[in-house]
Amino acid sequence: MNSSAKNVLTGDLKYLGLGDILQLIGANGSTGVLKLSCRFAPHPALLYFKDGNPVDARCGDLGGLDALYPLFGWTEGAFEFTQEAVHGQKVINKSRMGIILEGLKLKDDGKIEIIGPDSLLGVAKTTGFSGEEIPLVKGPLVDYMYVVDEEDFFDGEHIVEEGRHGNWMWVILEGVVEIAKETSAGTLPILRLGSGCFVGSLATFLVHGNIRAASVVAVGNVQLGVLDSQRLAQEYAGLPREFRHLLVSLDRRLKATTARVIATRTGKQLISPDLDAMTPFLPQRDAAEEILHVIHSGEVWVHRERPKPLTLARLGKGDYVGHLPFLHLRQEPEFAAVYADAELVTESVPVAPLKEAYEGMSSTFKNIVDNAAACVSVTTELLSAVSEQKGTLTTN
Amino acid sequence: MAIFNLKKREIECKIVYYGPGRGGKTTNLEYLFKAYKKQVTGEMVSINTEGDRTLFFDFLPIGLGKIRGCDVRVQLYTVPGQVKYSSTRKLVLRGVDGVVFVADSLDVRREKNMLSLQDLQKNLKEYGKSIFKTPLVLQYNKRDLADDGIPLMSIEQMNKDLNRQLKVPSFPGSAVKGNGVGATLKECLKQTLKSLQKEFKWAQ
Repeated sequence: MNSSAKNVLTGDLKYLGLGDILQLIGANGSTGVLKLSCRFAPHPALLYFKDGNPVDARCGDLGGLDALYPLFGWTEGAFEFTQEAVHGQKVINKSRMGIILEGLKLKDDGKIEIIGPDSLLGVAKTTGFSGEEIPLVKGPLVDYMYVVDEEDFFDGEHIVEEGRHGNWMWVILEGVVEIAKETSAGTLPILRLGSGCFVGSLATFLVHGNIRAASVVAVGNVQLGVLDSQRLAQEYAGLPREFRHLLVSLDRRLKATTARVIATRTGKQLISPDLDAMTPFLPQRDAAEEILHVIHSGEVWVHRERPKPLTLARLGKGDYVGHLPFLHLRQEPEFAAVYADAELVTESVPVAPLKEAYEGMSSTFKNIVDNAAACVSVTTELLSAVSEQKGTLTTN
Repeated sequence: MAIFNLKKREIECKIVYYGPGRGGKTTNLEYLFKAYKKQVTGEMVSINTEGDRTLFFDFLPIGLGKIRGCDVRVQLYTVPGQVKYSSTRKLVLRGVDGVVFVADSLDVRREKNMLSLQDLQKNLKEYGKSIFKTPLVLQYNKRDLADDGIPLMSIEQMNKDLNRQLKVPSFPGSAVKGNGVGATLKECLKQTLKSLQKEFKWAQ
C-alpha cells in the first residue's frame, strides 16, 4: 500500500455481506483494495478493484476467482476499503453482478464453506398496544384450494355466538371480524382478525360438538370462505399423536390467557400463584434451545418476570411447556418463566418429529396453526397492556 | 429501496420477477433483453440455478423522464425458486422496489401459483416488506397455449385465486411471443416510481 492510500469504508460483514459491499463499490465506481479479515479464517483476503469492478483477489495461496468465491462464505468478520491506485494484471474478467450471483449460488449449493459461528436466531415480533385499543391480527394469503363455499356477513352481524355448538371453520376473504367474550359487564371485544385469518379455534375440528368459546361479529361487511372441514379433519387425523396433543394444548393456552384478559378488564379477582411456595421449572431467559415438556400431573404457572411481573396462564395435565422454533407465543422461555407446584410430573418430548410434522403440513393447516400462535402472542401482549392500565399486577 | 448515485446522477431501482418455476420469468427477461436491446446497458448475467436460471441485467427505461435531474436506471432480476437459494434471494429481494409476479396459466399449475405467491409474501416479510405495500404487477403468462388446445385457467379464475386480496394490475401475457411483456414491465415501472415518489415526496 502506498502512502496516498486512504481508508474510506470499514464495517462488519455480519451487517453488510460481501455481495452488498461489491455492489456498493461498484455503484461508486471506486478503485482500490478491499481487505476482509475473519477470526475463523486462517488468512485475510484482499480484493482489487478498478472503476468499481473486481480485477483480482488474493487469499492465502489462492488468486483470482478461486480466492474470491470462498469469501461469500464468510458470515462474520471485518472489511475495510482503501482508495488507492491498483496496478497489476486484470485476472478477473467476469462481471460484478455475475460474480455476486454466482458466489451466492455456490454458497446456497453448499459448495462454499461457511466460515463464522452459526447464528440463526429468529427475531420475535413486537407489537405495541395502547391498552384500550383492540389489536388487529393480520393473516397470510388465503389458499383457495381449501375454500368450498363463500358467505357474506353485514356489519354487526353475528357470525358465531358464544356458547353455541358449531364445527365450521372459516377463513376471512375480505373484511375484519371482532372476537368478543360475553361477560358480566356486557360484551367485551378482545381482538380483531383481518383477511387471511381463521374464524373458529383449533378445537373446532378436534372435538365433536364443539362449544364456541367466543362470539365473532362482522366489523363492516365481511366475506368468509367456508373451509373444507373434511379435508382438514383428515389431515388432522393424519398428524402424529403428539402433534395433535400439542395443538389441543395450544388452544387451551389461548383460552387461559384470554380468560385472564377478561378477568383483568372486568376487575375480577384473579387467581394468582404463590410463587414463593413453587419451584422454578423453566427460567425466563433469552437464548433458548428447543425444549418441550408434557405435563403428566400437577400444574404449572406461566409467569412473566421481566420487565414487569405478570401471570399469563395456568396449565395442567396434558399441556406442553417449553420452546418450539415454529411457534412464537411471546410466553416461555423468552418472555416468561414456568413455575411448578409440588405435584408436577413431566416428561421431555423430542422436538424433531414435531418440527417435521409441522413442515409437512399443508399451507392452510400451517396457516391455522400460525394463526392460533399469533392469537396467543397478541393476547399475551394485550394482557400485559390491560394489566398495566388497570394497575392490577398479579403478584401479591 | 432505490439507491441514489450522486456521482453518476442516477437513481437505481430494482425490479424482481417472481413466480413458480418454469412459469416464464426468465423468458420474460430474455424477451426484454432482446426486444429492448438499445435500452440495456451491459451484458446479461445468467446463472444456472437448480430448476431455473437466475438472470440479471441493467435497463434504462425510456420515456419516464428524469427525476430531479437524475436518470432512472433499473436492475432487472429473476429469483431462483428453490428454497435452498436463500442467499441469492436475500440479495435480490432486499431493497426491492417493484415485483412482477409471473403466474402460469396452465390449469395444472394452479396450486403452484398460489404457493409461490405465498412464498413471495413470506420472503418479503423476512426482509421487512409487506406484499400489500410493495409495488406489484401480475402477469398471467402462457395465454398462447390456448391455441394449442391446452387447458388454461380463465383470467377471471386467476384473478380470483391470486389477486383478490392484492387488487393490483394484472396482464395476460405470452412471454414466448412477447405479448404483454412490455406492458407488464411498463406498469410495474409506473407503480414503482409512483411509490418512490410518494415515499420521498418527490412529486414536483
